This record gives sequence, C-alpha cells and structure tokens, in this order.
Amino acid sequence: MKKVNSIFIVDDDPITVFGIKKMLKPVVVCDDVKIFQNGKEAYDVLKEKKENGGSIPDVIFLDINMPIMDGWDFLEELIKLEIQERIIINMITSSIDPLDYKKWNEFKPRCPHTLNFKNKPIFKIETSDLECMDMAS
Amino acid sequence: MKAIQRTSQHYLLKQLPKATALLSKDGTLVDASDSWLDIFGLPLKSGLAINIHSLMEDTDDLADQLKKNAPFSIRHKIEKSRDIHWLESNFNPWFDEKENIIGTIVQTDDISKEVEMEMELKKVNKMLKTKSEVAKVGCWEFNVETEELYWCDETKKIHQVPESYQPNVTDAINFYKQGFSRNKISMLFHKILNDGQSYNQRLMIVTKKGEEKWVNAAGKAIMEDDKITRLFGTFQDIHEQVLAEAKIKENEQLLTTLIDNLPLNIFVKDLDSKKILVNQAECDYLGKSREELIGKDDFDLYDKEVAKISRDEDLEVIKTLKPILGKETISIKKDGQTTNFLTSKIPLFDLDGKVNGLIGISMDISPIKKKEDQLRNLINITSIQNKKLINFAHIVSHNLRSHSANFSMLLEFLKSEDQEEEKNKILKMLTRASDNLLETLENLNEVVDINTRVNLKKEPIVLHDAISKVLHNLSAFMEKNHVTIQNHVDKEQQIWSVPAYLDSIILNLVTNAIKYRSPDRKPVITINAKQIEQRTILSIADNGLGIDLERHGDKIFGMYKTFHNRKDAKGIGLYIIKNQIEAMGGSITVNSEVDKGSTFNVYFNEKSE
Repeated sequence: MKKVNSIFIVDDDPITVFGIKKMLKPVVVCDDVKIFQNGKEAYDVLKEKKENGGSIPDVIFLDINMPIMDGWDFLEELIKLEIQERIIINMITSSIDPLDYKKWNEFKPRCPHTLNFKNKPIFKIETSDLECMDMAS
Repeated sequence: MKAIQRTSQHYLLKQLPKATALLSKDGTLVDASDSWLDIFGLPLKSGLAINIHSLMEDTDDLADQLKKNAPFSIRHKIEKSRDIHWLESNFNPWFDEKENIIGTIVQTDDISKEVEMEMELKKVNKMLKTKSEVAKVGCWEFNVETEELYWCDETKKIHQVPESYQPNVTDAINFYKQGFSRNKISMLFHKILNDGQSYNQRLMIVTKKGEEKWVNAAGKAIMEDDKITRLFGTFQDIHEQVLAEAKIKENEQLLTTLIDNLPLNIFVKDLDSKKILVNQAECDYLGKSREELIGKDDFDLYDKEVAKISRDEDLEVIKTLKPILGKETISIKKDGQTTNFLTSKIPLFDLDGKVNGLIGISMDISPIKKKEDQLRNLINITSIQNKKLINFAHIVSHNLRSHSANFSMLLEFLKSEDQEEEKNKILKMLTRASDNLLETLENLNEVVDINTRVNLKKEPIVLHDAISKVLHNLSAFMEKNHVTIQNHVDKEQQIWSVPAYLDSIILNLVTNAIKYRSPDRKPVITINAKQIEQRTILSIADNGLGIDLERHGDKIFGMYKTFHNRKDAKGIGLYIIKNQIEAMGGSITVNSEVDKGSTFNVYFNEKSE
C-alpha cells in the first residue's frame, strides 16, 4: 500500500470529508490527515509551514464552494507562496458549471503543482490520484 | 410780231409756279418753266434741244402713250445729286388756236415724300400683319353709323372662317359659346356702344368648325366730337395658354393636395435656411399659419442648440450637394416640446442646375421611439429576470447536486460495507444528508415563493412599531449577548411595505448584527430611518466583525454565501431579504469595514404599489 506523509482535506461539508477519509483508507497509509473548513484555514497552516520549514502535504483535496476563502482563491494564494515541493491537488466539486471547468483549465498551466478536477459523486480514490503524473510518466 | 408774242409767251411760261414744259410733237423740249428745269436739274439757260425720252429713260411706253394724243400720267424717277427722286408727270395735248395738236404740255411734281410715306405705310402694315399672325392677335373695327363690322385676317382665322367672310354684329356675338360667354359679350358690347366703356375679357367661342376656343376679347370706343363713332378692338387666341394654365393649376393642386396630406412635415428652405414653403403637417406641428412660417429660420422656431445643429446640416447639404437621408434628429420647440424625427434634407436646384435651397422631409417618430424605449425597458427587465432565473437554476442544480452526490457516495459505501458499526455511521450520515436536502428545498421554496408572488399587498406600517415587535421577539437572544439597541427611528414614521417582508428584513439584519458580533466589543446596534425624496432608507449599523467587501462585495447577497466561520451561517438570510426588498421595488446596499462593523441600508420604494 502506498505511503503518504501528509494529506489536507479542505471542505466545509462533513459528509464529503467523511467520504474522502473513508475512500483513502484502502489505498493509502497516512498518519497525518488534516481537515480544514475553508481555504483560509488551510492557507494559514501552509504559510506557517513554509515559513517555519514544516512538512508540506503531498496531496490536497480541495472543495471549490466554501465560505471566507473558496477553492480558487486558495489556489491563487498557494501559487503566490512559491512552495518548492510538488503537491497533488484534487479539486472536488459537485459543480457542473462549465465556468468552473474553464477556470481549472486556466489554472493548470499557471500552477506548478499537479491539478486534478473531479466531479462529485466520487466512489473511489485511485492510487494515481495520489501521485504526481508528470513524475510517473 | 411773232417774235414778241413768242417772247411774252416764253416769259409767262418761265414764271409758272407749277413745273411745266412744252414738247413738240417729236418730244423735243420747246419751252419750260424754271421750276420744271430745276426738278430735272437742267440749267436755266440751256438750249431746248432736249428730247423728253432722255429725261425719262425708265419709262418704256412713253413714246406709245404720246402718240395717242390723250392725257396720261406716269411715275418715274431721276437721280439728282446722288439722291433718288420720285416724280409724277402729267401729259396733256397742246392745241393751237385752231384746235390743232402742236405738241404736249407736261406738268411734273416731285412726289418723293409721298412715295416714301407710302412705302413706310406698306412696311408698317406688313409688320402689323406679321405681328398679329405671330401673336395670334387679330383686330376688329365697328362703324357705329353704318353698323359695318370689319375683321382682320387673323380674327377670321381664329373664327375659322374664310377670308371672304363678311361679319356682322349678330353673327359675331353668336360665335361666343352659349351661356356665360355669350351673355357677357352681349352686355359688354352694349356697354361700350352706349357708355364707351372699354373691356378686356377672357371668353370662349365656338368656331365655324365647331371647336371650342378660349379667346381674349378687348374693345375700345373711339370718340369724335363727343360722339362714339367707331369701336376698335383686339381678338386673341389664348386657348393654348388657358389650357397650359389649367394644366399648371391642376398640377399645382395635385402637388399641394399631396404634400398637405402626407403624414410628413415638408418644407423648402432657401440658402439662408429661411422657409419658403411649408406643408400643412409642418404648420400643425409648429402651431403656426403658413404665412407666419414663410421667411422664418430655425432660430425663430426652435431651441437655440437644435437650430444650430439644423443650420449646420443645411449648410452641409448646400455645400456638398449630398442629401442627408433618414437621419434621426431631435427637435425641441421654443416651448420645450421635444419630438423625434426621421429627417431627410435634399438639395434643391434651379432650372440652371444651380443649388438654391433644400427640400426637407421629417417624419415624427416619437411614438415609435417611445415604443422602442418601452421595448428596450422590457428587454432589460426580462434580461435581468432571465439572469436571476439562470442564477437560481445554478443554485438549485448545484445545491441539489451536492446532496444527491452525497447520497450516491454514501449508498455506494453502504453497499460494500460489512462492519455493523461502520454501517450505522453511514446511515447517520445519510440521515444528515437527507435533513440537509430538506432544508435546502425549504429555502429554495421560500425564494421561489417571493419571486412568484404577483400581487404583493403593501400596507402603511409604522416603522418604529415594526422594529419594536421584532426586537421584543429577539429579547432573550439579545440579553444573552448583552446587545445594546439604539433605535432612532421617529415614532410617527410610516412606510409602505408587505408586513411579513418588513418583519423578515428587520429580523435578518438584527440577527446578523448579533451573530457576527466582535468578540472584543459589546455589540451595539444603531437603527435609523431617513426620508430622501420619495424613498425611505432604513439603516441598521453594528460594531461587529465586518466583511471584506473588496473580496466578497459581489457575493454578499448571494445564495449560500457565507463569510464567517460559524456553524449557524447558512448563507440564505441576506439572499432572501434581498429578494423580498426587490420584489417590493426597493434595493439594499452595504458598507462595511473589517473589525469595525457593517451598515446595511434598505431603500423602500414608496411610489410603486
């Protein structure tokens, strides 16, 4: 089974958080899964880790519609942090708004990290969702 | 004796005042008076051996005539000091005492003046005849005494009678068309004959060939010794002119009828933009008569700005000779009345092809313009509503989708779950998802309800009382959070609102102010109401957390938008009250500063029912 050091789940819906955690269990071993209610909370922690040399998460599950700081704003700020480590970001949303898909396409080339887009409902997390595709290929 | 006799005879002849000469039988000059010799330019003392034939070379039959021994006269000419002189000579036989013919007596007159006058008269007559033919003017003359009527050739020609025709007054009058023309000429002829009153009248005749013709008949009485002796007049064929005039009048009538009845304002302006023609529609529009408008320019009739624009257009058309076609213009009259026109200005050329003004055609499109505005307004409203609808559809699909996605996921888990404990956990989650879905549906239902209610019944409500009622209901919640309320609303102030909506608006705004209070300060809520023109503005201000408007400004009234990390923040309250306010024709704005507080301003529309 794959071993991952740190995973962030950024979502304000407890059911989705419950689902992601449940789906992670069979595919990955990770002792450090952190839950955040919105982008701001996750950003604050990331920023603190960048400044103080804490461990950067390998994978982030990111919701789009959240209060205070939504998924897109979080991505914007994350790029500005210029973190050297490569993160796999899985955007998870129930939105089928084409605008969101378009936005994801715009972000992809700008974001140094791997950016995946997943529409809810999801039933299974693949190992490939936890690996950097660029590095694997 | 014979010599003396001859001498005395000679001397007598010499002195005769009438130019006289004596010829022998063979035509030789025997003797002549001085005056005779002078006429022929002969010296007084000349020898008399001159033959008459040499003096009258241009008369061929002189010799033959002389042989007849009968009196005769001839007209001949001589050249004297380079002038041609016309002479008339009378020849008579010369008898001696015994009645024997011994020669011829010749008496000669210089008739140059008479001949000249005769020729002049001929010329004048010819000119007169030509003139009357060309101008189709004939003449007539009536002798009162003899009752003889004379018609010139042209007059006869107009009547279509032969030149041999002899007119009389009765026939002449009968040529006039029965009815007005004949009655009129009878009366006029009677008057000129009795009172000498001249006339000049346009009448109709029927010619010999039965053609109807317009003529101009004129007459003048000629007096001699206070008595009318003759009538003289002219007679002119004016049929073609009258027909042409009638045709012109007909065309004019057609044109006038046409332009006066067109539902367009039509005007013609000269180079100075002064009106030289206006139609009825233009008169009606400007509320002035035709006479009042002719000679006026746009500065006399319109607002200064409008007149300036119009004049510039005129100058452009006159300068470039290019017409302005179908241009939308706005015209403002002196009284301020505004009209939208579709205007065309076309250069007007004179017969030499030189521009001498312009023709203007304006169509009043104000009603169309008004309709267009109404339509545009309707499109705007529709498009706003459409946007709202799309937005709402997004909200619905997004929120329902997220719940259904959760259901699917949880059910999938449940299917493959063996452990009882885990199954219970999933079921608990499913129940929660179901509750969430129900709540979402309720919220959506509420929004739909606000937007679909057509007849909102607004009532006059005392604002202060409505606020007090809401505050009373919230008193426990406020007490718990140590809230201070400052209600500055005038106790008398009334507003028009749907009562339930007003309660909802106050409740939501006050609740929000308490919910998003600052942990560092005791919450203070200030409520004010102001009247600005026709609108009442209700302000609810707090000293709470505030919102970063730069970041969230556009989302603050959106559905399911929350900005603070609170468990009871649903993101539905502001969305609902915004819908309620807009349904009543009002609006809501917010001012906020992070960690200072927020002020919500509700604008109630008092006018719309």
